[in-house]
Amino acid sequence: MTFLWLVIGCVFGAAAMALIMSRRAKRAPVPAPAADPATEQSLQQLRVVADRLQAALDAMPVGVIVADGDGRVVVRNKASDQAGGDTHNEVLVQAAVQHHLRGALRGGQRSQTVELYGPPRRVVIVHAQPLGSDGAVATIEDVTERSRLDSVRTDFVANISHELKTPIGALAVLAETLIDEDDPVLISRLAGKTVNEAHRVAGIIDDLLELSRIELSGDLVVSQCDVGALVREASSRISYAARQREVLLKVCEIPGDLTLNADHAQIASALGNLVDNAVKYSEPGGSVTLTAFPESKGITFTVTDSGIGIPSHDLDRIFERFYRVDRARSRGTGGSGLGLAIVRHVASNHGGAVTVDSREGEGSTFRLHIPDRPLTGADHPSRMRTRP
Amino acid sequence: MMNELRKSFHQDLEEVRSELVYLAAFVTESIPRATNILLSGDLEGADYVISSDDEIDARALDLEERCVQILALQSPVAIDLRQILAALRMIAEVERSADLVCNICKAARRIYGHQLDPALRGIITRMGEQAQQLYIAAIESFVENDAAKAAAIDDMDNYLDALQKQFVQAIFESHAAGHIDLQVAVQLAVVARFYERIGDHAVNIGERVRFVVTGWLPEHRGAARYRSRPMGSEQEYGGVVSPPTDEASA
Repeated sequence: MTFLWLVIGCVFGAAAMALIMSRRAKRAPVPAPAADPATEQSLQQLRVVADRLQAALDAMPVGVIVADGDGRVVVRNKASDQAGGDTHNEVLVQAAVQHHLRGALRGGQRSQTVELYGPPRRVVIVHAQPLGSDGAVATIEDVTERSRLDSVRTDFVANISHELKTPIGALAVLAETLIDEDDPVLISRLAGKTVNEAHRVAGIIDDLLELSRIELSGDLVVSQCDVGALVREASSRISYAARQREVLLKVCEIPGDLTLNADHAQIASALGNLVDNAVKYSEPGGSVTLTAFPESKGITFTVTDSGIGIPSHDLDRIFERFYRVDRARSRGTGGSGLGLAIVRHVASNHGGAVTVDSREGEGSTFRLHIPDRPLTGADHPSRMRTRP
Repeated sequence: MMNELRKSFHQDLEEVRSELVYLAAFVTESIPRATNILLSGDLEGADYVISSDDEIDARALDLEERCVQILALQSPVAIDLRQILAALRMIAEVERSADLVCNICKAARRIYGHQLDPALRGIITRMGEQAQQLYIAAIESFVENDAAKAAAIDDMDNYLDALQKQFVQAIFESHAAGHIDLQVAVQLAVVARFYERIGDHAVNIGERVRFVVTGWLPEHRGAARYRSRPMGSEQEYGGVVSPPTDEASA
């Protein structure tokens, strides 16, 4: 609220200064006669105040543009110059500002949300209102992050209710049907479906518990891990599923002496999830390749697949909990939608990062970088606090 | 008084440029929007883009009229004349590009409900990205009067043409595998053509930018070839309607 008053105060002050200065300039004869010392001092004071107000406006993250009664821009701050980003986006934002300034000069407040498809996507709110009896002010506010968080929250609620309610609803319906059923063949089929749904719920709960454990546990059990063993472990865990799906699983040669000080269980879980995803989203005949190499005082694990790839507009959302690229949730791939959220938290707990490059139809490459952590006792697992 | 007249004229010219840049920016922004509509089957978004084309048509008409008025009333010369002549051509290019964006959205309606292979979706995304890059380069070269950047757009278009060919091949493969039916295959082939044409319009805008800055036109090359032929400089135009027959040549 204080910030809003500050903005309004600065805008009114700057506009008043600009108008006074411009009117003085209009009235001034050419060449200007020598002003008396008192007038010169007043002018100097006005310039100092105008400069100070302009500096205050420039420090604001919100773009501010002030127009006089004829629609000419008399004041604008730095943020208003880079409101749109690229040239074409900037043109569209400035066109919206001009349109609404003209509207505000005719009276009344005006506001518009400008959605720019980018890339990157941006959402900007342009607001304009009359400024007293002479002029108008427009503000440009970048609400991209707020808009993204809103959609994350909304989608999360929708997704979690879908993921949890669907199998539970199916279990209830199957159980009700079983109560009144006498046909042994049908009973056997329904019981099989019941078991599948129960396994699905159990899988979701397991993943939720694991994510919760990784998120909430403040301690990392740091030990010296054999990087080659970590990769082979992840590969062997998923090798059966890969054979079933006719996906070739390749592990690049990793030097035997390559080690990493990290939480073994968490890294194994993250790698397992990455490899599991790569196999699930590969077509029969495709391949998944695992590598690990030293980089930036740590180890980078990469999992590359030749699968269906990820649409570019989903790339920055796939690490959210329960987020699915396939909105129809055609459950062909199974999974809880928590795997990549777990990977992100493991990376975050270790001070590392997980990134992805992907193109639809060409496959994806996930890179998990884990920095080496110091051991407190030589060759012994230690407990290190990662969070306050 | 003379200065005031020229000031008003140059202000008019600047306004024509600004409006043209706005129309081109609108098209640039619409390309990824249309791609997303096509890939996600967003019917509401398709309606929005299709209905917003009317405004582009109206603004393009107004802008054209303004250019004609400037030509008639201000008698521009040299670079000012080239600016107006180029703007008249560029308006048509931008307006046609906006129509093509609409056509992509109309195709999205026709293939609604059909699943596309990831390979097809990937190439559509890349065609959309490349078409947008071409338009961004066209706008920037126009705003900055950068003839070198404008000349590079033609090379960028080669990649879009190659993507179109790759896409048509992918359509054949997807259809042969039974993933898409013939109707969808035809629609997708037409969509590829729309992207390719948007790229061509961006190239044309680039050529007009070169004309404004340097006075060069791509047609100069063909005209020079024509004039360098043995009879080119002497014969009258119209002698190339049909190839010479044996009788004629005898």
